[in-house]
Amino acid sequence: MKKLIEHFSDYPMVQSDTHDYRRYRMGRLKHQLWLHNRKRDEIILDTHDKFILDNLQPGNTCVFGSAGYYLEEVIPKLTVIEQWPIVKKFYPKAQIIENRSEIAEINGRMFDNFIVVNNRGDIWCELSVVEKHIANYVKSMKPGCLFFYSFRDTQIVNWNRLKVNHKQYFHDFGLHIEKTCNLNLLWHDIKFAKKQKDGTGNYDIWENPDTTNGNIKFVFEYQTKTKIIND
Amino acid sequence: MSSTKKTVKFVAPFALYKWAKNFKRVQDKFYANQYKLRRIQQVEDFIVLNNFQKVHHIEEVRIDLELPKTLFTSDINVADLVLVTHQGYSRYPCKGIVEQIQEWLADCPKLYLCLNRHYINIDNQTIDMELPDDFQTAITVWLQKSLPECTIIDLSRNYMDYGSHFTWSLPDRHYYIEKK
Repeated sequence: MKKLIEHFSDYPMVQSDTHDYRRYRMGRLKHQLWLHNRKRDEIILDTHDKFILDNLQPGNTCVFGSAGYYLEEVIPKLTVIEQWPIVKKFYPKAQIIENRSEIAEINGRMFDNFIVVNNRGDIWCELSVVEKHIANYVKSMKPGCLFFYSFRDTQIVNWNRLKVNHKQYFHDFGLHIEKTCNLNLLWHDIKFAKKQKDGTGNYDIWENPDTTNGNIKFVFEYQTKTKIIND
Repeated sequence: MSSTKKTVKFVAPFALYKWAKNFKRVQDKFYANQYKLRRIQQVEDFIVLNNFQKVHHIEEVRIDLELPKTLFTSDINVADLVLVTHQGYSRYPCKGIVEQIQEWLADCPKLYLCLNRHYINIDNQTIDMELPDDFQTAITVWLQKSLPECTIIDLSRNYMDYGSHFTWSLPDRHYYIEKK
C-alpha cells in the first residue's frame, strides 16, 4: 500500500526542470497565451489585457508573477519579474526574485505602471498577507504609478464565505490598502457568479466571471489621484 | 500600446487550460506517483468497511479509486450509495446544493458528498449570521440547518487550507448524508 499524503510538504516533491515547469504552468494561466502567440502573426489577448493596455501610462511597466512576457510585443519598456527560476530557461530577460522586497532593491523606484494579474504566489493567504505583498510593490513605484491588481476570491484564505458579504469584504480591502499603502483607488470591478437554473432545472457549474484574470479587480494610483480609468 | 508588427485580436477571457479531469494525475506526478491522497483512502475505506455493494460515483477529476469495478453502477436507482466527488456541485448556489442533495437522496437513500470549501456560496447570495464563525464548522451547520430531515455526519479533517492540501484533486469537506 502506498504511503498516504495530505499536504504538499508531507514528502519531498520531485526535483527536475520538468516538474518546476509543470508547477509554474499550473499557476500561471497566461503562459498559455505566450505559447500560443509566439509562433503566430495574429496574437490573442483578452479584454482585461485590453483594459490594461488602454489605461497604461507612458514609461516603465512591471508585470509581476503573471507570466508578463506574453505582453512583451504590446508593452514597451517592460520588466517581467517572476519567483520561479525555471522562467529564465525560456525567457532569459526575466528578473527572478525570491522575496518581493527585492523588486525595489533591484529596480529602485522606477515603475510608472505595475501589473499583477491573478498571481498564484500572491493568493492562498489571508488578505492581510496580500496587503504585505502590495506594501512591497509600492516601494518600486514612482509617484503617480498606476497599479493594476486582480485576483480570485476563491483562493483567499481564512474568511467565512457563509457569513461575510463577499462584495463588501473585497471592496473594504481596496479601501483599506488605500490608507495603509498610500494608494488611491481609481477603479474596481468585483463580480461573482450569477446562478440561475437552465431549461433542464440545473445550475451551471462555472466558478466566477473571470477565473483567468480574477474576479476582484482594482486599479490604484500611487500617492496621487490624477488619472481617469476608462473601461 | 507598442507598435507590434503582429495583429492583435482581443477576445473575452476564456479557459486557457482544459486539464480539470487530469488534475489529480498531474499532482500525483509531483511525487512520482509514490503517494496516495489520504482523503481518497478515506473514501475507499468508507465504502469497503460499510459494505456498500453498488456505488454510483459522480466525478469530474479522475480520482482513480482502487476498488473493483463491479462495485460501481451507472444507474443511481440501483445504487446503495451515491458518491459525489465532482466539485462542480460546490459551485452551485447554496440553495442549489441543498436541492441537489434532496434529488440524490430521492433516488438513493445514502450519500457521500465531497464539497470544495473555497466554492461554497459562490454567488454571494447566502449570508447567515447565526452560523459559527469558523467557516468549516459553518458549512456543516448550514447543511444541517438546511436539511433537517437528514442525518449529516461530518467526516472532514479541519485545517487551514493554504492551497497545499490537494483540494482540487479531491474536495476537502466530506459528508455522509442519509434520510432520518
